[in-house]
Amino acid sequence: MKTIIHQLCVTSYLYDELIIPSTPSKADVLLMGKSGSGKTSMRSIIFANYIARDTRRLGATIDVEHSHVRFLGNLVLNLWDCGGQDTFMENYFTSQRDNIFRNVEVLIYVFDVESRELEKDMHYYQSCLEAILQNSPDAKVFCLVHKMDLVQEDQRDLIFKEREEDLKRLSRPLACTCFRTSIWDETLYKAWSSIVYQLIPNVQQLETNLRNFAQIIEADEVLLFERATFLVISHYQCKEQRDAHRFEKISNIIKQFKLSCSKLAASFQSMEVRNSNFAAFIDVFTSNTYVMVIMSDPSIPSAATLINIRNARKHFEKLERVDGPKHSLHMRMR
Amino acid sequence: CKENCTGNINLIKDVQHFTEHIKISELPQEVESALPFHVEPRNIVDDDPQERVSAEAAILNSRVHYYGRLTGSSDRLLSPPNHVIPGPEEIYVYSPLGTAFKVSGTDHTSRNPSIITIFAIWNTMMGTSILSIPWGIKQAGFTLGILILIFTGLLMLYCCYIVLKSRKAIPYVDTSDWEFPDVCRYYFGKFGQWSSLFFSMVSLIGAMVVYWVLMSNFLFNTGQFIYNYAHNVNMSYSEFGTNGSDKVICPYPNTDPEGNSTISTLYIGNSGNDTDVNSFEHWWSKTNTVPLYLIILLLPLLCFRSASFFARFTFLGTISVVYLITLVTIKAVHLGFHLEFHWFDTTQFYVPEFRLFFPQLTGVLTLAFFIHNCIITLMKSNRHQENNVRDLSVAYLLVGLTYLYVGVLIFAAFPSPPLFKDCIEPNFLDNFPSSDVMVFVARTFLLFQMITVYPLLGYLVRVQMMGQIFGSHYPSFFHVLSLNILIVGAGVLMAKFYPNIGSIIRFSGATCGLALVFVFPALVHMISLKRQGMLRWPSALFHSFLIVLGMANLLAQFFM
Repeated sequence: MKTIIHQLCVTSYLYDELIIPSTPSKADVLLMGKSGSGKTSMRSIIFANYIARDTRRLGATIDVEHSHVRFLGNLVLNLWDCGGQDTFMENYFTSQRDNIFRNVEVLIYVFDVESRELEKDMHYYQSCLEAILQNSPDAKVFCLVHKMDLVQEDQRDLIFKEREEDLKRLSRPLACTCFRTSIWDETLYKAWSSIVYQLIPNVQQLETNLRNFAQIIEADEVLLFERATFLVISHYQCKEQRDAHRFEKISNIIKQFKLSCSKLAASFQSMEVRNSNFAAFIDVFTSNTYVMVIMSDPSIPSAATLINIRNARKHFEKLERVDGPKHSLHMRMR
Repeated sequence: CKENCTGNINLIKDVQHFTEHIKISELPQEVESALPFHVEPRNIVDDDPQERVSAEAAILNSRVHYYGRLTGSSDRLLSPPNHVIPGPEEIYVYSPLGTAFKVSGTDHTSRNPSIITIFAIWNTMMGTSILSIPWGIKQAGFTLGILILIFTGLLMLYCCYIVLKSRKAIPYVDTSDWEFPDVCRYYFGKFGQWSSLFFSMVSLIGAMVVYWVLMSNFLFNTGQFIYNYAHNVNMSYSEFGTNGSDKVICPYPNTDPEGNSTISTLYIGNSGNDTDVNSFEHWWSKTNTVPLYLIILLLPLLCFRSASFFARFTFLGTISVVYLITLVTIKAVHLGFHLEFHWFDTTQFYVPEFRLFFPQLTGVLTLAFFIHNCIITLMKSNRHQENNVRDLSVAYLLVGLTYLYVGVLIFAAFPSPPLFKDCIEPNFLDNFPSSDVMVFVARTFLLFQMITVYPLLGYLVRVQMMGQIFGSHYPSFFHVLSLNILIVGAGVLMAKFYPNIGSIIRFSGATCGLALVFVFPALVHMISLKRQGMLRWPSALFHSFLIVLGMANLLAQFFM
């Protein structure tokens, strides 16, 4: 299979474009930043990837191969170390530049807040932006100022504001959205949730429909998760909830559960949790999302809720297909 | 199945977490009993209905659990840094059995106050060399012996101080769990590592051989005492010694060729039944049979995998030393002082104050004051690290005083007019007959103490040798057994053919002292000063002189 596609690819390279209408095309999400800025940890935490110690010892993230992390259906995550000391990586990066930056949907650039070489970081960021302008001018740009837990609490807002101003200024004419993040507080989860929220096509319509759905089935709370990362895309709640961190906690728990399932070569599909006070249902929803429904009336039988969810699924899938992927139909393999 | 089973357990754990975190106040009975363990929600510290787990703590807990699944257990990439973890006063430890307790706000490593550290050093240094100090003082002469003891003590204290400092002077490397052999490896590479290991082994195996000889000695005397007590045999006429209740004997009197033979050696036959005693002596001989009986007891103990059981008995060592000090005091009070100062000339009963055999004392003292291979580890648990030098000096002072006290008192109280000062044995307990009750008690204490320390020493030898050569502490039963047979064999051979513990101590002390006390510390100190650019010529001269002293000490053992 692989060799056939490789041959197709070679011929397609010669013809420069090969249109294959039926397969959904993939686009890249580039996660870039200086080596040591925290990209591998970030990817591991968001996508529940196990980090083997040996690969880290190599120093730079040698992520030349096609990453297998896929989310939102057709987006593929690629990590690149930008501006490292390794001359091999530098040369490879420069020579493959056009290939890397073509067909990019999202660029997420990670800055280490503790970095001592601000000038150099900005310089590399700018060169990436240039490449984006040339090759994928429609890409969305996000900047993450990472490792904020190392900054003293009273100085965090100040430092972040400074960086944000600089970055917005440097990014013109592209518009970049900045977040401050740290793996040790809720900012990472919230930042990635915002990013994913902006990538969902027609997300407002999705939210309205979600609210209607929740009201119809008389649920306490309904959450919509992205399938791969369990980042909360949208939610509806009919009354105030006590725990502000509940989304991240649920995400962590499900991702741990998925890790355990994968050890048995099983995949997680659905879960029902019930006690005398509530019943919670987690199930596959559309091709990109999971839904979690929380009913506080335990007298409603599970079957009823499950049927409701199944019916809603059909409706939401239609919504997704109508506004299909906006990307051009190019297939790229590395 | 193993894979599946652990997977299933993780699944159950994850479900457990899920139910805990979502919203639980009570579960129906049948669900409760199905869970592996069930933690009552939140407030299990007291009866307050208010939740004690703060929101930040709960989410941090969730993150730590999750991140822990993403890396290997030894990988610290996703471990919470210190500034993220709340202070110890805010941390509760929840047990699955339904209780919670607070973490005490102490350091991770338990720290001891100075007095405990000083005591630990004193206890570790106090070995069987205390039995040889009077003999050493006799070999060097009384005045010269005292002077040498003080001088050697100070010298070894200084060398210990530079060993302690050596670890801190290494820049850019995390040396927090290094011992002195690791420092040697840093400066001298493989050669340093292997040679410091070799010399460390010399001191340990030397100590084990001395232990075997002494154990045979004490076991023999104990058996002799019990036999004589049971059979009412009076041995007093068969030994050359003083008369009276506090008998001191001279086990190997050599007739002085120059002096008058007015004192003849008295070898009167035993008053008991000849054949009985002779057969007992045949089966219970200090050099022929008793060392072999010990093999049956000690060889199995050496083959144990772990020595932690024996480490509990270190208190026996302290008791033995304290008892020895008491014994020495009582004997000195009963016997009185017998001192005459003849400065350079040899007399029949006394020894000169300055003798040429003084290197024998320095050899013994090198082993008596030796702690350089583990001082770093002992000092690590000192609560106030800035007092390390002071505590070390106090410990050395106490050790020196103890040795001095025992040595001087035994030497001075040795009844010289009937006996010769030259008779003082390398093991001063040999100068008391086996019928002496107090000394019998001392021998028994020491016997028990040595039986418990011997496997510890064997464990240390095994760990270091097997660890370096084969990479594992217990490669196989046969490897360990062969090593043990070699060590025990060395001990038995020494006990049979050359049971002079004074010589064994001085040779092994001078050998391991050469490397671990004089040469390596001085070299390491000079090299580190040179690298920092702070090496001045007086310091270089002094440390080179230390190296020369160490070599002279070893060479002199062969010639004197």
